[in-house]
Amino acid sequence: MYAVITRRRFLRASAITLVGTSSLTLDRAPAVAQKRELTFLSFNHFVPASDDELKRQAEVFGKQAGVTVRVDTIQAPQLFAKRAAQAASQSGHDLIVTGAADPFLYEQQLIDMGDLVDYLGGRYGGWYPFAKETCQTASGWRAVPWFWVAFPGCYNEVHFKKAGLQPPKTWDDLLKAGKILKKQGNPVGIAISHCTDANISFWSILWCNGGKVLETDGKTPAISSDKAAQVVEWYKELYKDAMEPEVLSWDNASNNRFLLSGKGSWIHNAISPYVAAVAKKMPIADEINHHSSPSSPAGIHSATTVNSLAIWKFSKNIPLAKDFIKFLFQKENYNAFIVEGSAFNQPPLKAFAEHPIWASNPKYAMLPKEADYVHEQGWPAKPNAAVQLIIVNFILPDIVAKAVNGMPTKRALAWGEEQVKLAVQGKLETKGKAS
Amino acid sequence: MAVGQRVLEATGRARPGRLTRVREWWEHEPVFGYGLIVPALVLIVGLVAYPFGMAIYFSLSDYWVGSPGSFIGLQNYRDILGNEIFRQTVYNSFVFTAIAVVLKCVLGVWLAMLLFRPFRFKRLIRGAVLLPWVIPTALSVLAWKWMFDSLYSVVNWTAIHLGIISPPGPNWLGMASYAMAAVIAVNVWRGLPFFAIIVLAGLVSIPREYYEAAEVDGAGSWGRFRHVTLPLLKPVLAVVILFSTIFTFSDFNIVQVLTSGGPVNTTHLFATFAYQMGLSGGNLGQGAAISLFLFPMLAVIVFVQLRYIRKE
Repeated sequence: MYAVITRRRFLRASAITLVGTSSLTLDRAPAVAQKRELTFLSFNHFVPASDDELKRQAEVFGKQAGVTVRVDTIQAPQLFAKRAAQAASQSGHDLIVTGAADPFLYEQQLIDMGDLVDYLGGRYGGWYPFAKETCQTASGWRAVPWFWVAFPGCYNEVHFKKAGLQPPKTWDDLLKAGKILKKQGNPVGIAISHCTDANISFWSILWCNGGKVLETDGKTPAISSDKAAQVVEWYKELYKDAMEPEVLSWDNASNNRFLLSGKGSWIHNAISPYVAAVAKKMPIADEINHHSSPSSPAGIHSATTVNSLAIWKFSKNIPLAKDFIKFLFQKENYNAFIVEGSAFNQPPLKAFAEHPIWASNPKYAMLPKEADYVHEQGWPAKPNAAVQLIIVNFILPDIVAKAVNGMPTKRALAWGEEQVKLAVQGKLETKGKAS
Repeated sequence: MAVGQRVLEATGRARPGRLTRVREWWEHEPVFGYGLIVPALVLIVGLVAYPFGMAIYFSLSDYWVGSPGSFIGLQNYRDILGNEIFRQTVYNSFVFTAIAVVLKCVLGVWLAMLLFRPFRFKRLIRGAVLLPWVIPTALSVLAWKWMFDSLYSVVNWTAIHLGIISPPGPNWLGMASYAMAAVIAVNVWRGLPFFAIIVLAGLVSIPREYYEAAEVDGAGSWGRFRHVTLPLLKPVLAVVILFSTIFTFSDFNIVQVLTSGGPVNTTHLFATFAYQMGLSGGNLGQGAAISLFLFPMLAVIVFVQLRYIRKE
């Protein structure tokens, strides 16, 4: 027989359940009596062992300081939304990883790190010039540079040897070599698509040829120039004679696959294909090598994104978070971080460039030197809000994509200039956003 | 009905306790009625009305991530209208939605008719058809991305081996028209079960007698479909097209994972461009303006379709 559930009975039962469940929570200790917790938000590292090492160090620091350190890692693209939400709600992690324009976008929300930057710089041989470019805003250092990732030439030695070629020293060398290699069945590849790598390559090639996207003031468009036109023309020739149309659809992993498949002979990328090949014990690892990012008449310049550490103003653990950053930079800790990151994590402090890992493998030997040529995207302007829009809207690779699809170079650059103007328009007048 | 205080006193009964009085107040029809509505109202206000209001506020301000903005009126709307990428996005959204919804409608009705017929393992297959709708989009789209990959495309490999195309085959995600075709194909693949199952429910509700009468009148299979099935499915189709149009217009995952709006912005939709501008780019004001642009368009579509449904 079914019991009849009356409205009154239902409400009474609901009330009892509610009271019952809420009383369960009384078992937990009140928040004030819990151990103090420092929280850190980072991204999932390409080399998972690097995150493991970070978490291990956090645990050691926690034990020493008598606190709990929680390291949360999420997919890198999710960081945009997470940071925006934390800034808007004024709550979240104490310490966050920042990159590119973040120290500038969140300038008003992040604490000044000048004292920590001075301390670390004095202790570990000084900072490379790009540290200032990426973390020092008009109102001071809003983040501490943590590590950066070099973007050298990654090539297949066997294909180059077969064609009787040396690795390219200049971008023109690459064009000449690429024409031969494509005929051999091993094209080269630079992404011309909506991905980070496509942006990085364009900035690098443009700078090497003396071009720039914005003037130093960060407000005046400078993309429509003869230098930029030369770069677009160079790209058109490379696309036609040395690459395949697939570069128009590449994401950040496509060029890795292209090189690891054995088909590709050269890509402009971080050392990730080699690291992955070694980790997976792929025979092609022996064939892959690296060389410095190529140069052109204006010298060698290479773009990167510097990963930095920032502390929210709303954090209740500011001194503790600063101590944690100091701890991460202690020699034995930072060295372990480099090793576990398979040489992927490159130091912004000069003293760490002497780490034995760079000498241990000839394929890494040139990596520390790349720091001398590196700039944050946007250079010679600081990576302000306009630069961020230029990067995320993929304006630069789209200029090239339009040109290789038949649009006259001047028109493609005029389109790019229009987009740069839109990115700059009105947004930089608000305090804190201009460089 | 609650008993008054004087009656209780007159009958010599004890005065009711505070709890009883609260219960009596709660059981008043208007109080109880509104009490039941409040939780739903709180949810709608908190999760729909508040974010919507905030989005309107953002779209009218120079709001950037990390720095609250000031009121700038319709400047964001003027700015995005002057942006070629946005105009391209509007065009893409209409092309994407129109083609995808038409394909889903035609194929959905077709699939529903097939599923309606008696066949072996009917329940199993009807359940399996729902899989694309059930699997998390981000996961299934990753599989599609692999299938359209420039180097390892299984689509091209199959077509080349069947002799349908010549190597290397189309660069699916690198050329504008192919990329649009690819994102539409994945959207149709994913949305088709929704159409088919709802239309199938509509088919089941059509009385058999109508078909028998039509057959007696000499109607063939096409005649029965045209004069019986289609007219009686119209209300169901109108609702399902309405929902599908809204879902398709506001699609995000498929384009974000497959193309990130590329090549050269030819597959950007409102949601992906708004995300790119507002969250990745940090310009929350323009991001909100881009996503709100969708609202009046959808409102018109919903209004027209709901009017039609009511007439029916």
